[in-house]
Formats: sequence, C-alpha cells, structure tokens
Amino acid sequence: MEILTVENLSFTYPESCRKAVNNVSFGVEKGEFIALCGATGSGKSTLLRLLKRELTPLGELTGRVMLRNADIREMSICDSAGKVGFVMQRPEQQIVTDKVWHELAFGLENLGTPQKEMRRRVAEISEYFGISGWFDKRVDELSGGQKQLLNLAAVMVMQPELLILDEPTAQLDPIAAADFIATLHKLNRELGLTIIIAEHRLEDVIPICDKLMVMNSGMLQLYLPPRLATQKLNEYPALLKSMPASVRIYHGLNKKETACPLTIREGADFITGNFENQIKKIDFCMKAAPGTPVLEMEDVWFRYAKSMPDVLKGTGFAAYKGEIFCLLGGNGSGKSTLLKTAAGVVKAYRGQIKVLGKRTEKYKENSLYKECLAFLPQDAQTVFLKNTVREELAEVGGAERIPQKLFALLSGKEIFDLHPYDLSGGEQQLVALAKVLAAKPQLLLLDEPTKGLDARTKEEVIELLKELRNEGMAIVIVTHDVEFAAETADRCAMFFRGEVIAEDVPEQFFASNNFYTTAANRMTREHYENVVTVEQAIALCSRNEERSGS
Amino acid sequence: MRTLENSNPIATAVFFLCAAGIAMFSRDPVITGLSLIGAVLLWMIQGEGGHWFLAVFLLAGTLVNPLFNHKGSMVLFVLNNNPVTLEALLYGALSSAMVVATIYWFRSFSKIMTSDKLLYILGSTMPKLSLILSMALRYVPLFSRQAKTVSDAQKTLGLYREENWIDNIRGKIRVFSVMVTWTLENGIITADSMEARGYGAGRRSFFSIYRFTLRDVLFLTGSLLLTAISLLAMYGGDTPAVVSFYPALEVISVKNWPIKTWVSYISYGILVFLPAVAKVGEEIKWKYLQSKI
Amino acid sequence: MIVIRNEKLRRMMKIAFLFLIPAVIVIGALISEEKSYAPVSLAVTVLALGLFLCGFEQKKIGTRRLVTVAVMVALSVVGRFIPLFKPITALTIITAIYIGGEAGFLVGSLSAVISNFYFGQGPWTPFQMLAWGMIGLLAGLFAKQLKASRIVLVLYGVLSGAAFSVVMDIWTVLWYNEGLVWELYSAAIVAALPHTILYAVSNMIFLMLFAKPFGEKLERVKKKYGI
Repeated sequence: MEILTVENLSFTYPESCRKAVNNVSFGVEKGEFIALCGATGSGKSTLLRLLKRELTPLGELTGRVMLRNADIREMSICDSAGKVGFVMQRPEQQIVTDKVWHELAFGLENLGTPQKEMRRRVAEISEYFGISGWFDKRVDELSGGQKQLLNLAAVMVMQPELLILDEPTAQLDPIAAADFIATLHKLNRELGLTIIIAEHRLEDVIPICDKLMVMNSGMLQLYLPPRLATQKLNEYPALLKSMPASVRIYHGLNKKETACPLTIREGADFITGNFENQIKKIDFCMKAAPGTPVLEMEDVWFRYAKSMPDVLKGTGFAAYKGEIFCLLGGNGSGKSTLLKTAAGVVKAYRGQIKVLGKRTEKYKENSLYKECLAFLPQDAQTVFLKNTVREELAEVGGAERIPQKLFALLSGKEIFDLHPYDLSGGEQQLVALAKVLAAKPQLLLLDEPTKGLDARTKEEVIELLKELRNEGMAIVIVTHDVEFAAETADRCAMFFRGEVIAEDVPEQFFASNNFYTTAANRMTREHYENVVTVEQAIALCSRNEERSGS
Repeated sequence: MRTLENSNPIATAVFFLCAAGIAMFSRDPVITGLSLIGAVLLWMIQGEGGHWFLAVFLLAGTLVNPLFNHKGSMVLFVLNNNPVTLEALLYGALSSAMVVATIYWFRSFSKIMTSDKLLYILGSTMPKLSLILSMALRYVPLFSRQAKTVSDAQKTLGLYREENWIDNIRGKIRVFSVMVTWTLENGIITADSMEARGYGAGRRSFFSIYRFTLRDVLFLTGSLLLTAISLLAMYGGDTPAVVSFYPALEVISVKNWPIKTWVSYISYGILVFLPAVAKVGEEIKWKYLQSKI
Repeated sequence: MIVIRNEKLRRMMKIAFLFLIPAVIVIGALISEEKSYAPVSLAVTVLALGLFLCGFEQKKIGTRRLVTVAVMVALSVVGRFIPLFKPITALTIITAIYIGGEAGFLVGSLSAVISNFYFGQGPWTPFQMLAWGMIGLLAGLFAKQLKASRIVLVLYGVLSGAAFSVVMDIWTVLWYNEGLVWELYSAAIVAALPHTILYAVSNMIFLMLFAKPFGEKLERVKKKYGI
C-alpha cells in the first residue's frame, strides 16, 4: 500500500530564480526504508521539509504531497504533527525542555493527550529505546548519541506513520552513528515503520535500505533498489565519493558484468572472486628522517579539577615540520583536551609542552597565537562574530593573510556577502579555517575537522591540508574519522586512556589494527597486506590479474 | 507522613508558604524563635551547613537598628547626640532573627523545590510560562558550556590578551557577542523541532511524574489548618501582643499569657516541626525494618 | 465583568494598573506607618505579576518568539561570566525595544527567577520580577525614542538601574522595620551606593557597546524567520 505520494512537487525560495525542488514525483510503500542522497545544495533538505507541513519553508510551492491519500496541507493540525515525525541534524538544538522525561512527553502534551495515556506511552517508549536508566536525568548530562536517541524517541512517542530524518548522524561519532542507524533499522523491521533518511555517511545506510533516492540540482535522478542504483552511479561522479568503499572500489575497477557489492563482506567477496593476489603489497615510500619538531609534549598530565580524574596521563609525542599527524581515539577519550592543552587553552599541571622549541609558558601576552600556533575547535560557529563572511575575513586581515588557494576556493563559492550562519556546514568549516589560518601559523591544531562535512567539502579540506603541509606547516588533527586519517595523515597514533600509543605511518598503523581500521582495509585484509584507502585497493587490484571464468 | 522531599510539590509549596509566610510578617518573639529553630533544623536535616554568614548577619542586623532608629524610652547611652535605646536594640534583634529565619526557609525551599517541582506547579496553571522557564533552564548549562568553547576558540585567534584586564573584559564581551548570534540562530532549530511536534496545535495537556496521594492531602490540609488556627488565634479578636516595643518595652509574663496566645504558638510550633518529625520517623522506621532483616 | 473593546485603551489600562499598584504602596508607606505594608505590598506585587503573566498565557504567541524569549533569559543569566557585568537590565531593554514590551517584561521577570535559582530565592523574588519586568515593559513602550537616540537609551538604562535598587531598598526597609524610617532607608541607600553606581556604569557601557550590534542580530533573526 502506498503511504506517501508526491506529485509534481516544485519549490522556489523567495528572492531566488532557481527551483530548489524541480518537479519531483515519487511514491513510498508502507514499511519501506528509503535513503536519500545528493550533494550539498541538491535540494534534499528542502524536499524533506516539504514533506512535513510544519517545516515547509516560505516560498512558492506547486504540486501535492499526500499521506495515505490525504493532502498533508489539508490535514488537521494534530494529524499533521503526529503522523509525520521529523528528526534533524543537530541533536543539541532539537531538545526543548530540561529533563529527559519532559522531552519525551512534550509532543504528547502539545496534542492534548490525557495524563493516563501519556504515562503509558512514555513508559513504553522509554523501555523500547532503553531510556529508562536516564529517565530522570537533565538533558545536559547526556552524550551526543543519547541526545539524538532522545530526539528520535520524543518523535516516536507520537506514533508517526512516516519518519523523516535529515542527516541525523552528522554530528555523532561513528559508533554512536552506527547505533543510531541500527535503532532505525530495528524500528523499520519490528514495527514496519516507513523511513526516509538523508545521509552523508552512507556506509551504514545503503546495506539496509530498500530504495536509494538520488537528487541532483533539485531533480530526482534515481529512485531504485540500492543494488541497481549504485550500479548506475558512474553517471554521477560527484555522488560516487560519498558512497561506501565497496561501491567506490566496484566502480573504480569497472567490472560492469557483476552486481555491485554493498557491504564489507560483499566487497571482500567481490575482490577475492575477481582478482588474483600475486602482488600482495603496495609499495609506499617511508618518509625521510623527520624535520625539526614543531610541537613537543613530554610527560604531560592534566585534569580539569583537583577532585576529578586525570585526562592526560603522561602524554608524550612530537609533531614535525611539514607533516600531518592524526590522533585517533573514541569519544570521551580526552583527545580534545589534549589539543586544548597543546594550544595553551588549559594548563597542564605536570610535564612540558614546547612549540617551536620554546616552552608555551614562555610565550608572553598572545605571541603564541601570532604566526605560531592556530587552533580550530569542533564547532566552526564559535569563531563567527560578524554579519557577513567578508567582514569576518576582513577582521583578521583579509585576502593577503589567507592562503591563496583557500581564498580562491572561497571566492569561487560566492559566499562573501552571506551571513556566516546562512552557509552550509562545509562552507562554515572552510571560512573558519580561513580565519584561523590568517594568523599564518606554523602549527595548526584541528579538532574533528570533518564532522558533518559532505564528501566534496571533505575532499577540499584534505587537499588544502596537504598543500599547507607541503609548504612546511605542521598539522595535528584529532579525529575519529578513520577514512579521513588514512587518506590525509603522514603519521597516525591512537589516543587511549590519556596516553599516545602505536605511532606509525597510516599504511602500517591501519594494517596492524583489527577493529580500528578503514573499510577498504577490512575488505582486503584477507587477500592483500597493507591496503588502507579505496584508491590503494583499486590500484592494487588493477595490478593483479583478473580471475578468469568468474 | 512522608518527608518533605518526597511529598507532592503542591503540598510542599503550601507548607513553605505557610511556615515562611507567618514567619516573615510576624513580630512576635516566640513565633520568630520557633520559626528560626524550625528553619535551621530543616536546613540541617538535609545535611547542609553554611551558618556563619547568617550568624554575622544576625549580629549586624541587631546592632544597626538602634544606630538609626531612636524610638523607645530606655536609653542605654548617647552616641553623637542620638540616644541608643534598649527597645531599638531588641527590636533590631527580633527583626534580624525574622529575616534570618526567612532566609533559612527560602534556602530549604530552593533545595527541596527543584525546578522540576516548580514547573509542575506552574505547568498546570501557566503552561506557556512554565515551558519558557523549562527551556531557559535547559539553555543555561548549554550556553555556559558553549561560552567556554567559544572562549577557547576566540582566545587562540590572538585578537586579545588575557593578561591585561581591560583586554580580558573586551575578550569576554566578544565571546558574549558570539554567543548571542549562536544562541539566536540555533534557537530557530528548537522552534522548528517544537512545531514539528505539534506545538501550538491547541490546548496542551500536562505530563507530570508526581502523584497526589492521600498522605499529601492530609499534609496539605494539616498545614493549612494549623496556619489558619495560628493566625485566627493571634489576630482574630484582640489578643494582646506578648511584647510591644514602642513607645516603651512592655512584656506580658508567661503565666499571664492568654489561652489564645498558647493556641497560636502551639499550632505554629507543630507546623514548623512537622518536616523534622517526619524525617526522624522515617529514620526510625528504616532502622526497625533493617533490624528485622 | 466589563470588557473593554478598545485594544489600545486596554493596553493602557493594563500598564496603568501595573504602575498604579507600586505607586500606591510607596505613597502609602510614606504617609503612614501602618504595620501591614510589607505583607500587603508583597501580596499586591504577586497579584500584579500574576495578572500580567496570566494575560500573557491567554495570548497567542509564535513559537519562535517564545524561543527567543527563552534564549534571552538564559543569556542574561549566563552573561554573568563577564566580570563586573550583570546583563539582565541591558538585555531586558534590548529585547523590549527590538521585539516588544511584552517580551521585555518576560525576559526581565523570568531572568530574575532563573538567576535566583543560582543565587537564592527569597521574598525579594517577586519584587525583582516586577521591577525588571516593568523596566522591559516601559522600554517597549518608548521603543521608538530609545532606538532613535543612543543617549536616551543609555540614560534610560542608568536611571532604570538606579530606580531598581532604590525601589528594592524601600521594601527591604519596610519589611525589616515595619514602616519606613528615613534614617534607616537613607543608610541602606548609602550602603548600597557603590553597588548601585557600579551597576549603573556597567549598564551604561553595556548598552553603549551592544545595543546596536545585538539589535542587528535580533533584527536579522526577526526578519529571516518571521518572528
């Protein structure tokens, strides 16, 4: 039975001549799990918002959206609010009230549900989502993953028939993101809930979705089961970058006669089934002896307060001129704290930190932050103060202080006259980076620079970082994005329990890890020895002979 | 009876209103004394301290009144051509004791009546206001944390120095300014999330995790009854004040206290010590239950 | 009950009512030494507050406006991290002139309650609520003038800050002493003088520096999201 029918839907924002959504029609069967993908600006967010009446933006709208054959613009307020659930990107900002229990009840209160009924539904939902353990907590005590789960539960308590999610895992770490997607899968399987989800990170979503919807400049390009859709993706090279490693390897090797692998296991079967492994290793050149150290940390200890446990326990490492050093570690491992300590934002109580051979305490006034060290925290919005991007950049010295390449990139995007908050997440990240780079640092510290970025911006960031490195900058990045680290880093290390361990070049670092490694490595580890990135996998497979008769 | 923390918030609030309400506006030394002891006791059974400041306040308050207030007839000594009278001194002591008792009541009130409970009371009568308060309470820790992050980021931009205090304030103001944009812009997401869940759809109902049990009803009516009796006995008819200060100090000795005065004191006394009794009762019950295990 | 049809008249009456009550209390306290002024004034304050807030409950108010009020309330509490600044008055005034007197009233009065969650509630809470609320309401009433001239704005900020502490002191003395003793009152005012001056100056600086940029931020949100 068709639960959602979209007919000739078009939408234009005020003061814009381009249609953000252009004549889109499709239908969704009850119980289907639909993944929606498209580059930033392809209109996928707008499309999703048009499916929910309360969130429909101002602008010119034509066409119809029908839920169970009723136009959503003619439904009663209660039906419209209750039957379509919507979860957005930022977990923190969607929460309304101060207590978990109150947040769960919020939607039901709005619909005027009687007390007795509310008690039952809230109890039921918190059991189903495993929230009972933190039912009485204040929301600011929750982790990011828990917050997003709470947002989902607070929508599910209204018993929607259709659940729409707009990049719900963009702000979560990979483990919390995978948990979140698993919960969605469970809702879909156990309750037959119809789900439409837009995502940047498709690794976890593509294997479980029923259909993949691809949008490009406002138009619906593909709407097919994932195996068929992924097979046709070579027509959209920009989108291919955001696909799971298996799909990218498949397209890189150009074997159209076989079906497209969607999971790691299928990817591994695809490679072993189609390619020999006479050459087991890719060659990589070990870097020459490291240059001068730019950042040295020796036996650094830190805790936030006397009564609290140590976050850094004798941390020690060095970062050298002209290298990118990636520190990987789970959530709450203290890697952000490590970066803050290095940046002189918080003070270690033991050990020493040297920047350019000089102890950080010896830098008087703010000389540490002038042509020496720059630090960008996770949330790019923390550096924005002005009303336009132009003013933001002018404040730090304008075009001549910003690396040329970055400035050219920003100019190309035509965003100088926009308000920083009107930019996409990726553009915000680039502008923020421009702002901190204006100090012409020799050491750049980045905290999760890829959080919430789409594939294209991620690539731009990687390119920029590599260029800065080649010009001699030392870059220290803490991240849990293993794919990014594998592609970018010259050296990687793990940060665990307050210590830096297992420093190595990425090829060896990831090849020796069993769990904490890239998808390409997991796919090829039985067959080859040290493949880490998708490009390496494609290169090595092509060098080996194809198996005949498979 | 259950302890104050575990009673229904409405009953608890009414108790505080009665106990502190009488305490705040009565100038009867016995009532003020009872109120002070009861309030301090309630504060202490919650395992709280911090009495020093209020002790000093009590002393200072006592001494200040006679310096500025020269009514009364028993002149103790003359200071700068102004008489310092015994009446004013005693009156100052009484007033300060009253203020200190009130502060103690409100301290316990703030501790026991958590924001949850206040919002529960408010929510049933003023849902919009209670929602705004709930949101603001949610925002305060969120904004504080964000302000810290913004401050870290702004500091490393190197646009101001922390060593210089004017620069430091300038930097903090910068941080605040960033915060204003951040909060206002992101607040829109909250508004979207509210509307997506049907806010403004019509009459809201109200979810609470508290229940009203028979014990709460008893506690509530008990508090109101005791207060009513105490007030009626004191102000109904013309019961003379036990102590009157001005123009001259007059004290009625204990054996001449009218029956009404006794009734008033006893009922207020019972009211004030109810929470302590409940607490002790609970302790004994648990000890007894534990000894049986 | 008489229903007043004229919207403007009704608003005027509401405001007059709000100011009438405190005025009556103060004048009453001055001319007589009747002992019940402290409790009566507290009761009247609570009633006035209740009346205004109930009026607000009855009204339909946009979700975004509601959120903005909550944001400004939280900001005025959090803003205390700036040394020497207590931003409640300034933020109340800014909200009032850019979003309206009613929003100003709410920001002022709710900021008082919330900040007292952290600094201690007391019988003074309702007075602070009403006082800050009225600073906002009045600012909303004269929004045009306050927006036009920065001098008027700063003057308003300084005066309202001073008036705030003067009014609060009246009640403290009333309560402490069952009647207004001039010596005691002037002593209280003098004792609070350094604090009052600091407060007035911080209000002045805050408004001078921020009224415009903050106003622009509010205007942008207002325009972009149709508050």
